[in-house]
Amino acid sequence: MGRTLPSATQLMLNEEASLARFRRALRRSDQLAFDDLFTAAQKHISAAAYAAHALPFETFLMAMLLEEHKEVTRLRKIIEALQEMHA
Amino acid sequence: MLEFAGWLLDLFEDPREGLVLYFIDESGARHRLTRHFPVTFYALGSDAELRALWQHLNRRPTEISLSRTQRMDVFKRQSVTALGITVQNPYEARKVFSQTAAEFPHLEYADADLHIALRFAAETGAFPLAHCQVMADETGQLKEIDVLEDAWTLKPTPIPLRTMTLAPDVPPHHARPHYLNISMEGNQYQLSLQTWRPLLVNLRALIQRHDPDVLLTDYGDTWLLPKLLQQSEKHHIPLGLNREAGRGVAWHEERTYFSYGQIVFRGQQIHLFGRCHIDRQNAVLWKDYELDGTIEVSRVTSLPLQTSSRVSPGTGISSIEMLTALREGILVPWQKQQAEMLKPAADLFTADQGGLVYQPQIGVHKNVAEIDFVSLYPAIMVHFNISPETILTQPDTDNIVPALGLAIDTSQDGLIPKALRPLLEKRVEMKKHLACTPHWDPFRKNFKRRASALKWLLVTCFGYLGYKNARFGRIEAHQAVTAYGREALLRAKEAAEDMGYKVIQLYVDGLWVQHPDNTQPKDINPLLLEIQERTGLPISLDGIYRWVVFVGSRQNKQRPVANRYFGVFQDGSIKVRGIDARRCDSTPFVAETQMHLLELLASKENPETALPDAVAYLQKRIRALHQGDIGLSELLVRQRLGRKLEAYRTPSPAARAVMQLKAAGKDLRPGQRVPFLYTLGKPGVFAWDRPQKPNPRSVDVARYQRLLLRAAGIVLEAWGLDEETLTEKVHTDLSQLSLPIPPKQHPGKHRRNIPGVVNPAVNRALKG
Amino acid sequence: MEQHITPFPLPKTGKISLVVAPKGVRHSLMSMLAALALRGRVIVVDGGNCFDGYTLARELRRQTHHVQAALKQIWLSRAFTCYQMVAMLAELPRDGTPIIILDMLSTFLDENVNFSKRQRLLENSLGLLRRLSEHAPVAVWARTRTTAAEENEQLLTPLLSTAHDIWELETPTLPEHQLPLF
Repeated sequence: MGRTLPSATQLMLNEEASLARFRRALRRSDQLAFDDLFTAAQKHISAAAYAAHALPFETFLMAMLLEEHKEVTRLRKIIEALQEMHA
Repeated sequence: MLEFAGWLLDLFEDPREGLVLYFIDESGARHRLTRHFPVTFYALGSDAELRALWQHLNRRPTEISLSRTQRMDVFKRQSVTALGITVQNPYEARKVFSQTAAEFPHLEYADADLHIALRFAAETGAFPLAHCQVMADETGQLKEIDVLEDAWTLKPTPIPLRTMTLAPDVPPHHARPHYLNISMEGNQYQLSLQTWRPLLVNLRALIQRHDPDVLLTDYGDTWLLPKLLQQSEKHHIPLGLNREAGRGVAWHEERTYFSYGQIVFRGQQIHLFGRCHIDRQNAVLWKDYELDGTIEVSRVTSLPLQTSSRVSPGTGISSIEMLTALREGILVPWQKQQAEMLKPAADLFTADQGGLVYQPQIGVHKNVAEIDFVSLYPAIMVHFNISPETILTQPDTDNIVPALGLAIDTSQDGLIPKALRPLLEKRVEMKKHLACTPHWDPFRKNFKRRASALKWLLVTCFGYLGYKNARFGRIEAHQAVTAYGREALLRAKEAAEDMGYKVIQLYVDGLWVQHPDNTQPKDINPLLLEIQERTGLPISLDGIYRWVVFVGSRQNKQRPVANRYFGVFQDGSIKVRGIDARRCDSTPFVAETQMHLLELLASKENPETALPDAVAYLQKRIRALHQGDIGLSELLVRQRLGRKLEAYRTPSPAARAVMQLKAAGKDLRPGQRVPFLYTLGKPGVFAWDRPQKPNPRSVDVARYQRLLLRAAGIVLEAWGLDEETLTEKVHTDLSQLSLPIPPKQHPGKHRRNIPGVVNPAVNRALKG
Repeated sequence: MEQHITPFPLPKTGKISLVVAPKGVRHSLMSMLAALALRGRVIVVDGGNCFDGYTLARELRRQTHHVQAALKQIWLSRAFTCYQMVAMLAELPRDGTPIIILDMLSTFLDENVNFSKRQRLLENSLGLLRRLSEHAPVAVWARTRTTAAEENEQLLTPLLSTAHDIWELETPTLPEHQLPLF
C-alpha cells in the first residue's frame, strides 16, 4: 500500500517551488541566500517528518531559524575569541 | 512393508492417486509413495446462500462431502459459520473450487487456493526436504511420517542430493550457444548443440545413469528446457526429465510485477515432477544464497524446492503465515475484504510515515560505532504482538501505540507473531553461531547463505503486512510497526546522548554514534544494554569504523542523503552503501575502480597517505581506457527497463538499447535489465545482446571517463580531491602522454544560479 | 503554486453528485471538503490513494485557526482493492454524515481481478451508494484517465446513470511559469 501523503522531502520541494516566482525576482546574490536557507532546512527534514505537522512550512521555517541561530552562536564565539586575543 | 529414514524431496497432486510423494532414502534409494489426501475449503455467506450451494454441490458427481462448521475469522476476531467442502482427490479440488466460485460469486471463500505442500505440512508436520522417518505399505501408500528434524533445526543433517548442472557455454540471449556443459558428481561433459540427435541420446543416457534429484540449469526456464523439449519431440527421443512417468512438464507463464516501487520481471518457469528443476538465472536471490539458501527457504516456508527457488520472499512469508493459520484452524481468506477503518484525517499525518531517517553530516567521521537493532520490524511485531487481529480501535488499554490512536491486545499471541517468532529466533541463533564460527570452518558458507535467506524473509515480512493483497495484511498493523520503530530509534538516540555520545546518523533500524573515549567494542556494551532496557528490543554492535564518510546527493552535493556512505571498520573490512561500487546498474569498470580506491584508502592507518597511490591508480585506469585496454564487457551498463517502450517520451539510454534489440527481433519486458555500451554519435548506445559485434573504437571514452571521475570524486572528495581536481590531474597526465583529451566538462556547479532557472529538483517538482 | 479552484456546490441528501475530472480537480475537492468539515463531520473514502491532506490543511487554514479540530471532523478510510471498496461502503454509518468518495474507479481498474467480476463489484458499490444517499449527501469523484481509458469509460457508464448531478471538467490549463517574449 503506497503512501498517501507526500514525503517531507517532497513537501519541502513543493514549498520551494511555490516560492519560485519570489526567488526569480530576487537579485542573484539573494537567490544564493535563498537557496542556502532551504539547504539548511533540509538538515532537519527527518525531524519535520516526525513532527508530522499539517502545515509543514511552519516546521521548515523553524528549521531555517534553528540553523541561523546555530550560525549566530558560532560567529559570536569567534568574535568573543578574537576580542579576547586583542584585549 | 517399507520403512526408512530419509528426506521428502517433492510432492504434488495426481489425478488418480491423490497425492504423490518422492523421497530420498538415507541408504541412497529413491522412493515414490502415494497417499489418499482429501482437502477442504470453506464457503461463507448467509444461511440461504450456503443452503443453495449445499444443494448445488450435492448434485455433483465428484466425491465431495459437506459439513456445517464453525471456523475462526481472524479479522472478525470470532468464529463464523462456514460450509466445509471436502474433496477426496486434491487434484479435483482446484476444479471444484473454481467452478463453485464462478457459479456462486457472491460468497466468500477460505482455504481455497493453498499449495498442497502447505496442507500436507499442516496435517503431518512434514515439510519439503524435511528429514523424516517414513512407513509405507506394499502398495506404496504412505502410512506414517514423523519429522526427525524440524524446520528450525540449526544444523540439519546434510541431504545427499544428486545434482546435475546443465548450462549453455554462452548466455543464449546474447549469442548463439555452441555447447551444453554438463557436470555431475565431479564429472564434466560437453555436448555439441549443433547436432541434436547425439545430444539428446547422450543426455538421456546421463540422466538415466545418474538419476539426479535436482537439475540445476542456466536459462533452463527461458531457453534450455523449452529447446530440449521441442527437439526431443521432433526427434522422438524422450529425455526422461521427469521422474514421474506419464506426466508432462508444468509451464508457468512469465510475469511482470511491482515490488517495493520497483518493477520486477520473472521469466516463464518449467517445473518437473519427481525431480526438481532450478534455473539459476531465473531463481530468486540466487547470487545471494545459492542452493543452500534455497533449501532453507523451502524448509521454513514448506514450499517445494522448485517453487521456493522462484517465489519472492513476500510469497515465502505469506506461506509461513498461511501454514500457521492452517495449523491454528484460522480461515485463510481467498480475497481479503477488510478495508481500513474510519479514522480522523488528523491521524493520517502521523500514521502515514516510514522509518525515521536522519540527514547525516557530510564528510569524514572518525571512530564511529554503528549499532543496529536486530531485525527491527519483525522483532517489533513479535515483541509487541502486532497482528491484524490484535489491533484495537479503543485505545483504553495499557498498550497504546506511540502517537497513533490505536492499541494492541496482548492477552493472547497474534497470528503474525506466532508465525514469525521461530523464524526470528532462528536468525538470531544463526547470527550468534556465525559470529563464533572461524573463517576456515567448512560449514561457514552454508550458514551464511542460509542466514541470508532468513534475512530476506524477515526483511520482507513487514512490507507484506501492508501489502494490499496480503491475506493477513492490515494497514493499521503496518502503521503500528513503523510507529514503534520510530519510537525505538528515538529512545536509542536519547540513551546515546544521555551517555555522552554524539549521534552522527540514524537510519530506520541503526544508529551511528561517536564518543571521545569509547572507541573499542567493549566500551559500547553499556550503551547497548541501556538501549535494550529502554526499548525492550535486541540491539547489537555492527562494528566500529576507523572512519566513515557520508556523501551528499547526486543532484546537490551539499544536500545530505541518508543511505549513501562508505567506511572502514577497525578490522580493515569495508562497508559501502548507495555509491557506484555497490549499485547493480554501475559499469564493472567504474565499480571496480571505485572499490579499489576504497581498498587503497583502507590499507593505510591514515588514509591521507594513500592519496598519491590513489591518484596514480586512477590515472592508470584512465590511460587504460584511452588505450582500449579495458575489455568491452567491463564497460557494460545494466539498467532496468522502467516501463513499456511506448511509454517513453524521451527514451532513456536503456530504452534506446531495447529499441535496438527490438529491431533485431528480441523483445524485452519492463523490469528486465538490458546490458549496453555507451557509444559515440547517435543513438549513443549499443545493446550488448544485438547479433552484431560492437566496434571497440565506437566506445564513448569521454563518457566513461566522466563516469569514472565522478565515482572517484565521491570517494576522494572528503580528502580534498573532488571531481574537478581529479579531472585536472587526469588531463595533465593525458597531455604528457599525448593521448586525445576529451572536451573538458565541469560538474554543473553554477547552473542553479542562472536567473529564472531553479535547481533541477525544484524544476522537476514544478513540472510534476 | 496557484491553482484554479472550481467552487462546487455542497452535496445534498437524497442526491449523488458526480464530478468527472482529471487529477487536477483534487484541489477543488479539498476546498469543498474543508467547507464541509467546518460544518461538522464528513466521511471520506479514498479509492485512489490521493487524499491530499496538506492542501486540505491549507484550505482550512484560510478559514479557521483551528485546523487540527477541523481535521478531526474528517473521517477517512482508504480502499486499495475493489473488494475493500465494496466492504467499506457496506460498513459506512447511515446517520446523515456527508460522504465523499475520491477516485472511486481506481480500484476497479485492477487487472488482477477479471473484468466481469469487477463490473459486478461496481454494481454492488453503486447499490450501496444509492442506499447511502437516501440518508446523507454523497459526492463521488471519477477520475478521467489517459491510460486504460477504454476500461475507465466502460466502468464510468453505470456510475453516470446512477448520479443525479454530474460535473464534467476538462484538464485545466495552467498559466506558464515564464511568459514567452517572442
